[in-house]
Amino acid sequence: MEHAWDFSAVFTNSYLLLIGLKNTIILAVVCLVLGLFFGLFVGAARYSTRIVFNWPATAFVEVFRNTPVLVQIMWFFFAFPIISPFDIDAFTAATLGLTLNTIAFSSEIYRAGIQSIHRGQWEAAKALGMNYTNQMRRIILPQAIRRMIPAFMNRAVELVKMTSLASVIAYGELMYQAKTISTIEFNPIEMYTSVALIFFVLIFPLTLFVQRLEIKSKGRG
Amino acid sequence: MVEILKIEGLNKSFGDLTVLDGIDLSVNKGETIVVIGASGSGKSTMLRCVNFMEIPSGGRITLNGSAIGTASNGSVTYSEKELTGLRARVGMVFQHFNLFPHMTVKQNVMEGPKTVLKCSAVECSRRADKYLEKVGLGWKADSFPSQLSGGQQQRVAIARALAMEPEIMLFDEATSALDPELVGEVLLTMKELADEGMTMLIVTHELGFAYTVADRVLFLANGKILEQGDPESVLINPQQDATKNFLRGHGSFRLPEPNLD
Repeated sequence: MEHAWDFSAVFTNSYLLLIGLKNTIILAVVCLVLGLFFGLFVGAARYSTRIVFNWPATAFVEVFRNTPVLVQIMWFFFAFPIISPFDIDAFTAATLGLTLNTIAFSSEIYRAGIQSIHRGQWEAAKALGMNYTNQMRRIILPQAIRRMIPAFMNRAVELVKMTSLASVIAYGELMYQAKTISTIEFNPIEMYTSVALIFFVLIFPLTLFVQRLEIKSKGRG
Repeated sequence: MVEILKIEGLNKSFGDLTVLDGIDLSVNKGETIVVIGASGSGKSTMLRCVNFMEIPSGGRITLNGSAIGTASNGSVTYSEKELTGLRARVGMVFQHFNLFPHMTVKQNVMEGPKTVLKCSAVECSRRADKYLEKVGLGWKADSFPSQLSGGQQQRVAIARALAMEPEIMLFDEATSALDPELVGEVLLTMKELADEGMTMLIVTHELGFAYTVADRVLFLANGKILEQGDPESVLINPQQDATKNFLRGHGSFRLPEPNLD
């Protein structure tokens, strides 16, 4: 079937797409910052040998790793308000779903990063007479973080993509805006093509950056 | 004679497994003691108890006259602060070197003086230069550990321990992970230290080295010191059957003197 490509309606509605882009970026940044911050604590709890910390953290991580994000977002928007005492708008529901998911994944990155450092490094630092804080700060974390950065960047890329799921609960991010415009203008081909391009332009530099980092981190232990 | 280290009734068990069973040992300043024994005899654990990498289950360790830990009701408790302070006074060299890969050779050697002893930048640098020179690696100061051979890495690890200017040095199978052709340079460095009067406690399988360098050889079996004395009496004229068996195993195949001229 022939299709006459016509992007003019994309440009006339570009301000709506810009709003969508802005909301996409806000959602991604908020979820990434909160996710990485709280992930450190959940990761530390997972690393702990004490059951009071380890058990709840493990349960949390497993629940959010083993259920689809789309289900989590829908649950926080449609199910959670019924049992919660306060109102939940689309942004809050999306933020909850994506942040909790990011916490679960980043906590694993923190834990794995620290665990990946050979026991001998702890021992050498300890044998010099360093206390735990200095062992962590001077020897373990500088090596561990270098290994974590590519994984965190990958997570950021995934997160930007996952924000599009928030469209199902009518949060006005890029995907939702595109859907709205395309139903008015009857131009799904041009609209969704444009959205794909915008996401690509947004994410591709991140991906390139991750690849650069991975090559660099292979260079040195 | 000044007694640097005294170990009294040292016990260590992991769960039901008793690894050390009443070790008594006194080490004088400048003495080189080599500990030999089959794997599982407890020799590494004994070494690791001296700087509390493993916490003893019982017994007392005294370094330079000061007993470590607080005794009450027959058991000894240790504060973390006391242990970090003690470890700073005891140098340790590991089987797998454990250099810090994110630091240059010089930064590795400066790390202890800088972070633990809080030495000035000038003093840290002076110590690093001095001890790297001593192990013959001053010219590698700006390399990273991954750019060095195993033997060179181990010599840097020795310099890193020496930079703390420790009262005693512990060597935990320092040459076991090295390719055979690299063992010599590390043993030579250790011999130089012994000759200069460093107090050393060495766990090794290099019996020739033990024979040449040790002032005293200890043979450990089942967590006990079964036999000890000068190298001649333990390694050449052993009295105990276990020592004889151990030496028999080591001497199964032997070269006649190779002609290397």
